Amino acid sequence: MRRGAWVVGLIIPAGLAIVWEIAVRAGLAPGRLMPPPSRLFQTAWALARSGELQTHVVATMARVLLGFAIGAAAGTLLGMLNGASAWAMRLLDPSIQALRAIPSIAWVPLFILWLGIFETSKLALIALGVFFPVYLGILSAIRSVDRKLIEVGRVFGLSRTGIALRITWPAVMPTWIASLRTGLGLGFMFVVAAELMGASEGLGYLLLDGQQMGRADSILVAMIIFAVLGKISDGVLVALSRPVLRWQDTNRIRL
Amino acid sequence: MTQLVVKGIGKTYADGTEALRGVDIHVGTGEIVAILGGSGCGKTTLLRLIAGLDRASTGTIAVDGVALNGTHAAISAVFQEPRLLPWLTTEANIAFGGRRLAAAERQARAASLLARVGLAGHGARWPRELSGGQQQRIAIARALIGHPGVLLLDEPFSALDPFTRTSLHDLLLDLWRELRPTVVMVTHDIEEAVVLADRIVVMRPHPGRVQETLPVDLPRPRDRLAPAFDLTKRNVLRAINRSLAEAPSGHGAAAGGGVSPWV
Repeated sequence: MRRGAWVVGLIIPAGLAIVWEIAVRAGLAPGRLMPPPSRLFQTAWALARSGELQTHVVATMARVLLGFAIGAAAGTLLGMLNGASAWAMRLLDPSIQALRAIPSIAWVPLFILWLGIFETSKLALIALGVFFPVYLGILSAIRSVDRKLIEVGRVFGLSRTGIALRITWPAVMPTWIASLRTGLGLGFMFVVAAELMGASEGLGYLLLDGQQMGRADSILVAMIIFAVLGKISDGVLVALSRPVLRWQDTNRIRL
Repeated sequence: MTQLVVKGIGKTYADGTEALRGVDIHVGTGEIVAILGGSGCGKTTLLRLIAGLDRASTGTIAVDGVALNGTHAAISAVFQEPRLLPWLTTEANIAFGGRRLAAAERQARAASLLARVGLAGHGARWPRELSGGQQQRIAIARALIGHPGVLLLDEPFSALDPFTRTSLHDLLLDLWRELRPTVVMVTHDIEEAVVLADRIVVMRPHPGRVQETLPVDLPRPRDRLAPAFDLTKRNVLRAINRSLAEAPSGHGAAAGGGVSPWV
């Protein structure tokens, strides 16, 4: 791609924003349910000045990151266990697959009943959403490691642990990181669900509040900030993983 | 300096297929033995048994009089595909074969072998950036870094073009002269066997057995165009035709209606 060619992608969103701004200012459209860009900037600015926006962002990000950490760690550990041991696989995988068949949001009432309406139930929901893609990703990656490379490890005298650390783990790494990215995306999805079911702070709360107060501008601001946060988190994950994935074709990393 | 003795080796798979029966091969110290045969004669199976990657059903394999049980520090291998670890640089791939060496010696030997196989300056590249022939050079260096007594080669040049293959034959012989490992190589290329080997073991299929063993009494370096070279090739070809003639009738059909696939 030529340098600067990405600008083409801005034509539609920027064009629509400008047209809408003009339409509302010229009185051609009311702009109450779909506020123009300038209104959104004002709302965001006001929220930021009062410090309210930072509170919401911090609350949401803390939930996403903590839930993600718990879910990703559990998914990785169980995936590794079941990938390493056929016996553990036979014992555990059917139950995990059965739980996976339940749509994660369906757990909400039970989590609230068990864990209360505050942070714990929210974290549980997010961790659960993150768990499944990470578990499935690492498990299938371990099971599809090239047997021929394992044989190289055996011929050159690696122990079982040595093979796991020096062959299986690096071979699994790309799929594992891809599954973490999927998991992180789902983490953002489930934080919205968790905050919509009742929260006093967080971007999901801002969404709900905007709906109840009839303020489309704060709903849209919250949505845009979700998009920005999601993109930034994914970018950080990709940047962190880049050094260990340097050996791959670069076009695969840029996906 | 290592002797390899294969005695009464048989291999029957769980599904009842008999891949090898009563194979005896004696490889002297520093000798190059080529195992020649078509598909289905169990030559790769035999190499996997020597490497310790599979278990024999009967018989023993011994290195310097000690029976093997699984993989062994004295035995290393080059496979049909380079099988480099894609997440290690080429130099680190070579070093990977020297896990039993001390770190300092491993680094020094990896660097010198890299140059020795003609890839000095390519040590920091990734395997995917190298050509097939270059990757196989790295695989050979990886197999030799740990001072193996026995080097196993499983059709290592079969996927390469004739030009690359010939230059790798030369490289292998140079390294062999220098390090003198005992070499067992599996191939289906008659010329390759005659260029490289001190002895050629011709195998016959269904189940895999030794048909006959032919010495290659040609001075090194060998001239592929010399009449004596051609004569040896023809002798090997005759042995192969005998092995096909004696094969069970079912195999004749599989090999193309009884016509030798070698001519």
